[in-house]
Amino acid sequence: MNVVCNGKPVELESAATVERLLAELGLDGPYALVERNGQPVERERYRETALEEGDRLVVARPVAGG
Amino acid sequence: MPAKGAQGVEDPLTIAGREFRSRLITGTGKYPSFEAMRDAVIASGCELVTVAVRRIDLDDVGEAITDWLPEGVTLLPNTAGCQTAEEAVRVARLSRAGGLPDWIKLEVIPDPRYLLPDGEETLRAAGQLVDEGFTVLPYVQPDPVLQRKLEAAGCATVMPLAAPIGSGRGLKLRNAIEIMVEQAEVPVIVDAGLGAPSQAAECMEMGADGVLVNTAIGQADDPPAMARAFALAVEAGRAAHLAGLIDESHEARPSSPITGLVTS
Repeated sequence: MNVVCNGKPVELESAATVERLLAELGLDGPYALVERNGQPVERERYRETALEEGDRLVVARPVAGG
Repeated sequence: MPAKGAQGVEDPLTIAGREFRSRLITGTGKYPSFEAMRDAVIASGCELVTVAVRRIDLDDVGEAITDWLPEGVTLLPNTAGCQTAEEAVRVARLSRAGGLPDWIKLEVIPDPRYLLPDGEETLRAAGQLVDEGFTVLPYVQPDPVLQRKLEAAGCATVMPLAAPIGSGRGLKLRNAIEIMVEQAEVPVIVDAGLGAPSQAAECMEMGADGVLVNTAIGQADDPPAMARAFALAVEAGRAAHLAGLIDESHEARPSSPITGLVTS
């Protein structure tokens, strides 16, 4: 399965979820924020939210700022 | 009786029903290292720190700021970088969905040179976010009329700028902020433009409920020492405000008796 994450193509095994995507990217810390096809994904639904071919994802996090 | 000297101020800053002992909020940007940031946050004694929200660079993930923040501080995500109400609402929703607090420092800034916030878009975003259950702390230009509208929309604070972000120019817009302080129904937190602890003290003496400082601490030669200096100044300024400042006089007013002079 191919998705686009932060503007870059990412290849995933089939039946991928948001949680597996984050684990694969090494971003499974407490504050990875995820938007799927323009909609925010609730943290408690990362495990059950299945990804589909062509999904566009944004993965963000808190950074230094004022 | 010995002089008591400086004492801790007992009155808390209350925002949206939550009490904070410290009236200093710090930003986490512009530090030379995460280590310096952490030490400065600890030295400041602040309980609320701002963070921005950005896409992760998948080719260079690097360290997470959250690994460096001391336990017990509350994150206040901002919407820095957003130029419209829609962008700001999007960032706020993403933050909350991902587990960050539902408090949001609302910034809608279309102007890259002076980083002045767009009041109209800020008000629009604030109304939307309050309706969605966020606790909204909007960054605004000192505008007492806009303040009233933001209060009516349900904002938890208003955060007027003292001077442009990062400029270190101090309380340049004092007259308008004084009016805001006078008529405030929610806390007035002076945010942006402070360069020196004396300027933070001036804000507090004037009656501001708190200040938010980032660049002046993060870019100091010794950020933790400067953080402590700001903390002391905020406490001193608040204590002075509560103590009641004297009225100014154009002419001198003698402090010693003018009668019974030895030389008379």
